[in-house]
Amino acid sequence: MNFLNAILLAGAAAFLIPLIIHLLNKRRVQTVRWGAMHLLHQALQQRKRNIKVEQLLLLLTRIAIPILLALCLARPVLSFLRQFPGLNKTSLVVVLDNSFSMRAPSDQGTLSDKMRSELRQILEKLPNGSDVSVVLAGNPPRLLLDAPTVALEAITKKLETEPCLAGPFALNDALQLANAELKRMSGASREVLLLSDFQQSDWKNIADGGSVAALDTILKSEPKPLLTFYRGAGELEENLALASVEPSAFVIAREQSIALRVRILNHGKRAYQDIAVHLEADGARLRTTRVSVAPNAETLLTLNQAFDTAGDHAITVRVEGDAFPEDNAYSLVIPVREQVNCLLVKGGSDLGPLSGATDFLEISLAPHQSASTSLKDVIRTSTTDYRQIREKFLDGVEVVMLANVERLNGRQLPDLEEFVKRGGGLIVFVGPDCNSTWYEKEFFRDGKSLFPCFFKGFGHVETGQTPARILNQRHTHPATTYFNDARGLKLQDAAFQHWAKFEKIEGETRSILNLDRGDSLMVEKPFGKGRVIAVATTANAQWNNLPLQPVFVPLMQRIVTYLATQSAAPQSQSCGSMLRASLAKDQGKEAFVLTDPLNETHELKPITDKEGNVYVDYAITQNPGLYELRASTAAKTSAPKRFAFNLNPSESDLTLLSTGKVHDMATRLSASFAENNDDYTRLDRSRRHGTEVWQLLLFALIAFLFLEVFLQQRISRA
Amino acid sequence: MAKLSDLLPAEDLLQLSGLPLFARTVMEGFSTGLHASPNKGASVEFRQHRPYVQGDEIKRLDWKIFGRSDRFYIREYDEETNLRATLLLDASGSMNYQGSKGVKKFEHARKLAAALAYVLTGQQDAVGLVTFDSKVREFIPCRTKTSHLHNVLETLLKTEPGAETSLAAVLQNLASRIKKRGLLMLMTDGFDDVGELLQAIGVLRKRGHEIIVFQIWDRDELEFPFSRWARFENLENFEDFQMLDPAAIRQRYLQALEQFRSALTEGLSKHQVDLVPIVTDEPLAHAVKSYLALRMRR
Repeated sequence: MNFLNAILLAGAAAFLIPLIIHLLNKRRVQTVRWGAMHLLHQALQQRKRNIKVEQLLLLLTRIAIPILLALCLARPVLSFLRQFPGLNKTSLVVVLDNSFSMRAPSDQGTLSDKMRSELRQILEKLPNGSDVSVVLAGNPPRLLLDAPTVALEAITKKLETEPCLAGPFALNDALQLANAELKRMSGASREVLLLSDFQQSDWKNIADGGSVAALDTILKSEPKPLLTFYRGAGELEENLALASVEPSAFVIAREQSIALRVRILNHGKRAYQDIAVHLEADGARLRTTRVSVAPNAETLLTLNQAFDTAGDHAITVRVEGDAFPEDNAYSLVIPVREQVNCLLVKGGSDLGPLSGATDFLEISLAPHQSASTSLKDVIRTSTTDYRQIREKFLDGVEVVMLANVERLNGRQLPDLEEFVKRGGGLIVFVGPDCNSTWYEKEFFRDGKSLFPCFFKGFGHVETGQTPARILNQRHTHPATTYFNDARGLKLQDAAFQHWAKFEKIEGETRSILNLDRGDSLMVEKPFGKGRVIAVATTANAQWNNLPLQPVFVPLMQRIVTYLATQSAAPQSQSCGSMLRASLAKDQGKEAFVLTDPLNETHELKPITDKEGNVYVDYAITQNPGLYELRASTAAKTSAPKRFAFNLNPSESDLTLLSTGKVHDMATRLSASFAENNDDYTRLDRSRRHGTEVWQLLLFALIAFLFLEVFLQQRISRA
Repeated sequence: MAKLSDLLPAEDLLQLSGLPLFARTVMEGFSTGLHASPNKGASVEFRQHRPYVQGDEIKRLDWKIFGRSDRFYIREYDEETNLRATLLLDASGSMNYQGSKGVKKFEHARKLAAALAYVLTGQQDAVGLVTFDSKVREFIPCRTKTSHLHNVLETLLKTEPGAETSLAAVLQNLASRIKKRGLLMLMTDGFDDVGELLQAIGVLRKRGHEIIVFQIWDRDELEFPFSRWARFENLENFEDFQMLDPAAIRQRYLQALEQFRSALTEGLSKHQVDLVPIVTDEPLAHAVKSYLALRMRR
């Protein structure tokens, strides 16, 4: 038993007062030599109760009152009660930050080791029978164990093997998961314990006064759980991080060079001079470059690389000279193809050079071919008139582009639908010859056919007015993200005089580019395994000057290669996301082996879904680096399928919120704050147990006061 | 040892001497005085005529009526006789109680006895004294002589309270020893079994004695004012004691006291015995005077 205000326990000595009065009274007994003893005897006989016992009870009551009062004020904590199952048992949901910033060094190994050890101590002190669930809060949040458990050793054991490499702390999602867990738990006394390093990048918005919806939900639930913010601080604030490597293309041709834009961030006050940046391809180091990074600054460098053989090639860029190595590498998978075949279908009529609907497309997709240079294009184009396309025209083609096509006839549309369903890509440019009625009735067909939306009217710019431009916004579509930071290549340079007004952009259809007049310029819709992109203007300079801009070439190439590689694995994924490898239909019964970045192998079995697609899934992708998938029967030298997983760069900034800020934030969010185990133990005592015993004692005190009055009255009536 | 002047303080005697003590019932005596005698014929106070029956003394025939009516009638007279008053003083241990106020109960009773003896002797009544505890300790038969008073007072002076009470047994014993009817004045706290006491009183009453019981109380016994823890030791038996918190038992004690007093009062009134409560912190003369005034009115 412990006391929170132990000094007030001295008040219990007041019990001596009634005792001394009683003893003095007894000691000062007078002797009465009495005559009327028979009356006294009679009075004593008439009394049925034992006054002596009652007086002893009264004395004990009077002694107990000051003791109870002192105990009440001293706030005792009956820790031994926690040993009995069912008494004081708690339901604890631990929201544990497992973002990789927790790997920063601390006084006990990494910060993550330290927090786990402190969590173990907290779990050990929990009353028997308490159930615990652990939510790993790094993005994406997930449960450590499938269900809350009372076997706390299982949690400790599982935590030991759990890597701490997740993305940024996802507070809201983690708390939603915690709330769902609380509902599954049985204890009336509930607590949510949030262990984190309170990294500034994760918490800044909330520390600055932002609200957390899931937290409000938790705090409104009944019985209201206790919430504790437990802050663990690492000892490192300096960190050099390789934030990203952006390739210039989704897919390249054999021997075609790809430009890799490497972004190195320095989160700290120390300048790094001439640090080595290594480029590795397929596990072999190719070359090393040296760069300098100023404090709190970023450095961009571009590396070029070409591959001799077709297939998926892995590239890893690595930076050296840093005490926190987790975020010093970045991997990518670059698909290298012999070529990507693109069929250009033109509508309208040629009136002169570069006036055909697909003329600009031909040049932009295969510039070297057009210029008859010796350099290699990955995209090979072939052009045909829409009226001349025949059966099997789609054989060997990966992307089809329709430009200013009036309408499709006969089997053309069903064949094209089948082509996209199988995974092909389709790009449709609207033009003056397009039959809008056919586009709406047949090509759109209430969203059931290929065209992503329908158009009725046209937007145009009157003479003298400023032309429409592409809306300047942050691009999120994979085909356009490159233009967020493409120096010298500005989409906004293009001017549009005429365009179709797309309507009914709903369901899975989404807009890729918008005009500043509020209309969509480019929309995309998935169809079967493939995708369709519709562009609201012409592919030549008839309605706009986009084809005349330098940005047109990379834009078209990226869209085509995006569509050509859409069914392939992404070049890079975030750690923790699902690894899914599509397989050929005949591979459904083969066994596969996945080698992870730690060089451990995992046997995987393909899954076949209802539609007959065959794939393998692997979820434990916390470790950053390259994962290689091979059929178990294949030779080790055969080219594997490669998958690159990288950590979220926002975790690299190791700047933490100060204790004061976390404390203020905790106070604002109705949470308690602890910074070490002693803090937590003190909190735990006062909140969970002290109050309860204090209340019991108060009830007992009131009961004893009543008992004292009752006994006093009863004895005086005797 | 108490002095005679302590026994008979001048102011008490002064107050009591003016009050004649009348026996309410008819007394036998050997000198004519203030009290009516059941013996007829020896007096001059005519009472009644009654027809002659064989055996009557011839000298008591009223010849004048015989001459007028030719019938034999006997003339009867009332005789005034002197009072034979016996003072019965309880000298048991319980009489030794002295409370916070007043004097020892025994002292008070002794003074009362002395005063009564003095007054009775003064009006030519015969006074006797019996002191007793569990048995009769002194027995002085009734005499009228002044020198006899001295005897009585001497005995009173040398008497000290002693052993346990056995009031009923003593009274039973006295019933056989006091042959002639008279006035018995019992000075006691009456701390005995009420039933047995009343039985003994009944025996005395049947023998024609008139009885007045002066019940001596200490204020403490009536009010039980103790508040501190106390060890109550029996005055008559030191081995009998009770250690208790008086406040805790006061109500019960007062109830028991009330029961005791009402049982005694009722029982005595059935036997036509007066019960005069005397409290030791009140002046002696005051209690006796108020009783005698009441008695004379009846």
